[in-house]
Amino acid sequence: MGLVGILASRATRPTSKLLNSHNPKHFNLNLFLRTILTKPELQSPESSAAAASQSDPAPPPPRTPVAGARIHFPNPADAIEVFVDGYPVKIPKGMTVLQACEVAGVDIPRFCYHSRLSIAGNCRMCLVEVEKSPKPVASCAMPALPGMKIKTDTPIAKKAREGVMEFLLMNHPLDCPICDQGGECDLQDQSMAFGSDRGRFTEMKRSVVDKNLGPLVKTVMTRCIQCTRCVRFATEVAGVQDLGMLGRGSGEEIGTYVEKLMTSELSGNVIDICPVGALTSKPFAFKARNWELKGTESIDVTDAVGSNIRIDSRGPEVMRIVPRLNEDINEEWISDKTRFCYDGLKRQRLNDPMIRGADGRFKAVSWRVALAVVAEVAHQVKPEEIVGIAGKLSDAEAMMALKDLLNRMGSNNVWCEGNGINPNADLRSGYIMNTGIAGLEKADVFLLVGTQPRVEAALVNARIRKAVREAHAKVGYIGSPTDFNYDYQHLGLGPETLLEIAEGRHPFCKTISNAKNPVIIVGAGLFERNDNNAIFSTVEAIAKNGNVIRSDWNGYNILLLNAAQAAALDLGLVPESSKSIESAKFVYLMGADDVNLDSIPNDAFVVYQGHHGDRGVYRANVILPASAFSEKEGTYENTEGCTQQTVPAVPTVGDARDDWKIIRALSEVAGLRLPYDTLGAIHSRIRTVAPNLVHMDEKEPATFGPSIKPDVTEKMSLTPFKAAIENFYMTDSITRASKIMAQCSAMLLKK
Amino acid sequence: MAFTLRSVKVAPNSASLEEARSRVFDFFRAACRSLPKVMEIYNLDDVAKISHLRSTIANEIRKNSHITNPKVIDMLLFKGMEELNNIVEHAKQRHHIIGQYVVGQRGLVQDLGTKDQGMSNFLKNFYNTNYF
Amino acid sequence: MASTVLKSAMKSIREKGFVTFLRELKEEGYLRCLPDGNLLQTKIHNIGAKLVGVDKFGNKYYENLNNQYGRHRWVEYAEKSRYNASQVPPEWHGWLQYITEHTGDELLMLKPKRYGLEHKQNFSGEGDAYIYHSKGHALNPGQRNWTRYQPWQPTKTE
Repeated sequence: MGLVGILASRATRPTSKLLNSHNPKHFNLNLFLRTILTKPELQSPESSAAAASQSDPAPPPPRTPVAGARIHFPNPADAIEVFVDGYPVKIPKGMTVLQACEVAGVDIPRFCYHSRLSIAGNCRMCLVEVEKSPKPVASCAMPALPGMKIKTDTPIAKKAREGVMEFLLMNHPLDCPICDQGGECDLQDQSMAFGSDRGRFTEMKRSVVDKNLGPLVKTVMTRCIQCTRCVRFATEVAGVQDLGMLGRGSGEEIGTYVEKLMTSELSGNVIDICPVGALTSKPFAFKARNWELKGTESIDVTDAVGSNIRIDSRGPEVMRIVPRLNEDINEEWISDKTRFCYDGLKRQRLNDPMIRGADGRFKAVSWRVALAVVAEVAHQVKPEEIVGIAGKLSDAEAMMALKDLLNRMGSNNVWCEGNGINPNADLRSGYIMNTGIAGLEKADVFLLVGTQPRVEAALVNARIRKAVREAHAKVGYIGSPTDFNYDYQHLGLGPETLLEIAEGRHPFCKTISNAKNPVIIVGAGLFERNDNNAIFSTVEAIAKNGNVIRSDWNGYNILLLNAAQAAALDLGLVPESSKSIESAKFVYLMGADDVNLDSIPNDAFVVYQGHHGDRGVYRANVILPASAFSEKEGTYENTEGCTQQTVPAVPTVGDARDDWKIIRALSEVAGLRLPYDTLGAIHSRIRTVAPNLVHMDEKEPATFGPSIKPDVTEKMSLTPFKAAIENFYMTDSITRASKIMAQCSAMLLKK
Repeated sequence: MAFTLRSVKVAPNSASLEEARSRVFDFFRAACRSLPKVMEIYNLDDVAKISHLRSTIANEIRKNSHITNPKVIDMLLFKGMEELNNIVEHAKQRHHIIGQYVVGQRGLVQDLGTKDQGMSNFLKNFYNTNYF
Repeated sequence: MASTVLKSAMKSIREKGFVTFLRELKEEGYLRCLPDGNLLQTKIHNIGAKLVGVDKFGNKYYENLNNQYGRHRWVEYAEKSRYNASQVPPEWHGWLQYITEHTGDELLMLKPKRYGLEHKQNFSGEGDAYIYHSKGHALNPGQRNWTRYQPWQPTKTE
């Protein structure tokens, strides 16, 4: 009976109806189509007849699009209609057959196709049958044409997939039990779903030499199925030309052309896009299986982008960090710092409150004692000698509590490190990325002022690169010489060039004013300069001349460096006097390690509240252990003004407490009890100060432009702009404690 | 077995409160005498001192100081004796002893005596744990 | 019988001197015979028995075919005070338990040199070093560290 039964039972092909009559000629023909897979009903005529009698059932209800696939019609006139398994779908012109199937709710198996990369069409897994086409077509590479009748569930399509799968598995080693991808492997899943139950391959499998791609990506190249996703990712998104395809036929392999490490700050993403276990995470190798892990959807705090991540933990331990899809922020990439900083969460942790004794040694004490000591000292100093500094990883709740506590003590000298001593916190448009990270894709001219997005915010850089690649945007850069992974024009080193552009003497002025959507990005490293107000007013002048801020387009952006910065400025963490730290007697460092610790007077009493034994600890008199971002619920605002929340994935270490709870407890011990006991209460306190910080996952645009700012009279100094970040891999206490990051900076930043 | 406690059996009822009271002291003495052995078999030297355990026992007894019914006291004494016997016979493990008598039910036992009046619930919880 | 014992004792005193005799008396474990009846019994059995062999630990293996069958082979341990059956090395075990007629010395010749660990007696219950404690036990010196993070160690600065 063979295939006749199955054809009849599906009743998807009109011709198959004919086959219901026992036509011996067709019967013989169909023997050639015999699949490897055999089922009992295919063997016995009775059961297949029974199956045939059930044919022509009512069509199943239409399916929902795969993974929430959205269709965006740029031009409604361009909509075309195709039929997927008999259902009409309206899609815009230019979509591929595979995308049309996704909209129709049919998930086509694929290896090489990736929605964010160019189309290669070399794995052939996505073969579907198209009516009037002589052979199955690779749906990922085939544009959908009006009226096309696509069939994804026919025997021809199934047999094609089964055949492709057999070829793919021919040279794929059978090492799933020792493979790190096991359990989350596309090849495993799809061979279960679409593959045959046996192979016909009896020869030797080929083997390929492993490549050294550096300390982050582990390669087992024998497992590679040559989908070239990693090659395309490296050239298109990461912008490094390191990976490539060598050889032909069975000698084909992925490699670096010369022995070279992958020097990209996005290199970890090839681990995610690799559909098999050829590229896996080196630090995670053989540490855990993916089904043992508990995923917690959180956000990243190692830079100001606020990438959406999933923290995978096992018990009290963070095992790995993987990206989460967020089209507006990180698409589906994260930087290597985000992905591999997690081992820093397990090293150099502060786990007990400690007090420095008279001999200069720290001694672990109980919370009662520690808080009592801090409260007593705080009472002994004058209010104006109290200074509080929030660190770059602080959440909004803790910063709110710190500001409230210090205000109750009578001091207003509280700020967040990285914001400089006289930040502009009054106009929100003056410290956030007004265009938005996703908005950068629409820009056609970029002017980068004192910022190196590649190291300061790798994912913002990926967006700029996307604009440069797809829209051929021009990039002008003012600042110290650096390495971008796209073409750019180095305009100058510092304020002189800025002044030239502002006064219209520079050729780049023309480029800006001719541009449709010009974008100016100013680095937050300039906040630390004393002449920051003059610089920002000059940049605003450029923005005004170049018509950068319009009603439909705001191209004036500040690229922040740290996760805490935006929220700190929203909450008004601005020091009262710029010289407060030199005259301080009581300094409260809330995770602040990068402030100038030498400027704190020697007789000052320093309290360090934080999670890592980093720079600040060595100057501290009392250490209060706090929880890290993976252990607490904290609100962070990213550089484009989008408020997001971390979610605790693991318990805190030792005797540590959440940041805001420590400050709340200290306030009570000091007799200045703060009026909130719960996170909800502190959120309502935040709402009165900065309502945008309680609207989770919402991007709150700035209301007023810089036009209402008062004129600045001070002059710019002519010192060139310095690089804000020297070492991409080690910027905060977590990444400085990380061994992997130390390895990276040793191996990859080697000049 | 250098030392064995008398076996646990139901003693005749105390005739009066005075007799019950003296039995309580007998029990306390028996418990205190067994402490060196408890320290040894549970290897408690690095976490507790004998005086610490002794005050824990005294605290446990004082918790019931308001009871005046000799029958109830007899019953509590029986339970105490049973517990003591279990401990001395090594029927427990080290972490049982540490959990029940060194650290106590609510934080460190020694902290129970300190003045927590006027402290908010938040602060009380804060001293115990991060999760409340 | 008593006279033969006495006679041989007198003979060895004459030959080696009294001090040496006393030392040998002690080393051979005759003094331990007073508190340890088992040893005394063994010593008495030894009279008139045939010494079949001595293993590398110094245990002496005796045989007396006049005894009841099944009681005609025994060992006198080299260790006189804390002896136990696990001190018998494997090559003598078979002979001693009537499994084979070959003595340990004969079996040792058959044994390939490259095999075999040095025989070690069972030390169970002989002090903390030989007691197995599970990985979480308070007395386990190599107790596993379950802390999943590495705390910051305060070091003196300034």
